[in-house]
Amino acid sequence: MKRNKIVAMFASVAIFATTSAFAQTGPDEIVKTAATSVTTVLKSDPAILGNAAKLKELIESKLLPNFNFTRMTQLAMGRNWAKASPEQQSALTKEFQTLLVRTYSGALSNFKNNTIDYKPLRMAAGETDVTVKTVINQANGQGIPIDYSLEKGADGSWKAYDIIVAGVSLVTNYRDEFNTVIRDQSVDALVKQLQSKNK
Amino acid sequence: MSRTFTASRVRFGAIASVGVLALSGCASFRAAAPGDPLEPVNRGVYSFNNTFDHYLFKPIAKGYDAVVPNLVKTGVSNVFQNAADAQSVVSDLLQLKGAKLGDDLGRVVINTTLGFGGIFDHASALGIERGNEDLGQTLGYWGIGAGPYLVIPFLGPSSLRDAIARYPEGLYDPISRLSSVPVRNSLMGVRAVDARVGLFPAEALMNNAALDRYTFLRSAFLQRRQSLVLDGKRPKDE
Repeated sequence: MKRNKIVAMFASVAIFATTSAFAQTGPDEIVKTAATSVTTVLKSDPAILGNAAKLKELIESKLLPNFNFTRMTQLAMGRNWAKASPEQQSALTKEFQTLLVRTYSGALSNFKNNTIDYKPLRMAAGETDVTVKTVINQANGQGIPIDYSLEKGADGSWKAYDIIVAGVSLVTNYRDEFNTVIRDQSVDALVKQLQSKNK
Repeated sequence: MSRTFTASRVRFGAIASVGVLALSGCASFRAAAPGDPLEPVNRGVYSFNNTFDHYLFKPIAKGYDAVVPNLVKTGVSNVFQNAADAQSVVSDLLQLKGAKLGDDLGRVVINTTLGFGGIFDHASALGIERGNEDLGQTLGYWGIGAGPYLVIPFLGPSSLRDAIARYPEGLYDPISRLSSVPVRNSLMGVRAVDARVGLFPAEALMNNAALDRYTFLRSAFLQRRQSLVLDGKRPKDE
């Protein structure tokens, strides 16, 4: 019994190693794999929604590796990115990531027994920036479209840099908010606000 | 004498500036553009609405949500949604969107008859999607920009275009057409409470996510409306 577990563990490590070595997984597959791995856990263990620490761990292990948070923060900062020092940039990236993980954990509790449809991906050869479209089906007949924008990095792996929920882009939303804070105050004030929000 | 003169000049100035605002609003099509020249006024109305919501509206909605059984709440929501689907038919027609017109007509017919006046949403169970159109979107479809962002007292986020579209749309709102005034007014009240309850999840999400709720809501509202006008396509898709 125990040996089987160890074998399975090694096998999964080996599979993981090969996929990352080739790093040729398509963007639509990345979205599907990540989403499925989270929803499977939610369905088999719904109690996890009440356990903030476990939920955070689930998101950090299954979803975070597929996001490029530096790129996200840079896009959300827009023109203000260049005005921030490298220290401010890394502080912003760190806090923004924490905020998004927290928000996402909160949003998951609304997921319940909904299903996800994955729309076929239209992608030209050599494309390095694509949008993967999905729809969350709700019981009331109103599907929530969720699009993921992914970019191909120098290492050939696809990473998401924006999520668009029902037409509302997360990056654009935060760009407006960041802009307001920086316009009225400063980059440092923005870092402080994010930090206190995350406390 | 001089007072009337000043008053009329002020009025003219106000009209002219609203006109200029409307034009400059129409010129900018990008969803990401703040498009909020009235921000100081809007923020004032926003904070008024929040106070009203905090002390009166939200407690009522919470009470309703806690007391009324889920089955009844769903039925009530469905009835109002059925009325909205009927209004959507008009906008489908005005935009010559045949597929949506068929869906919305089918939904209203099925839900009004088999669903007992809309209490049961059989159409969704059959997989017929909502067209989800309104008059503001219709104006947008025909090329009219959102104009400046507006926060309307008691009602919340809107735009000049959408606010103007509300009036004619109200003329063919099945609920406001009811002849009995007490019935009509209570139904409108329940509809508002039902809509408020529907916002609870989004509100919780916003409170988690937003640094500045006013900006968060404005950006989300303007992006969402733009997306509805484009039927889910993004400017980038073309």
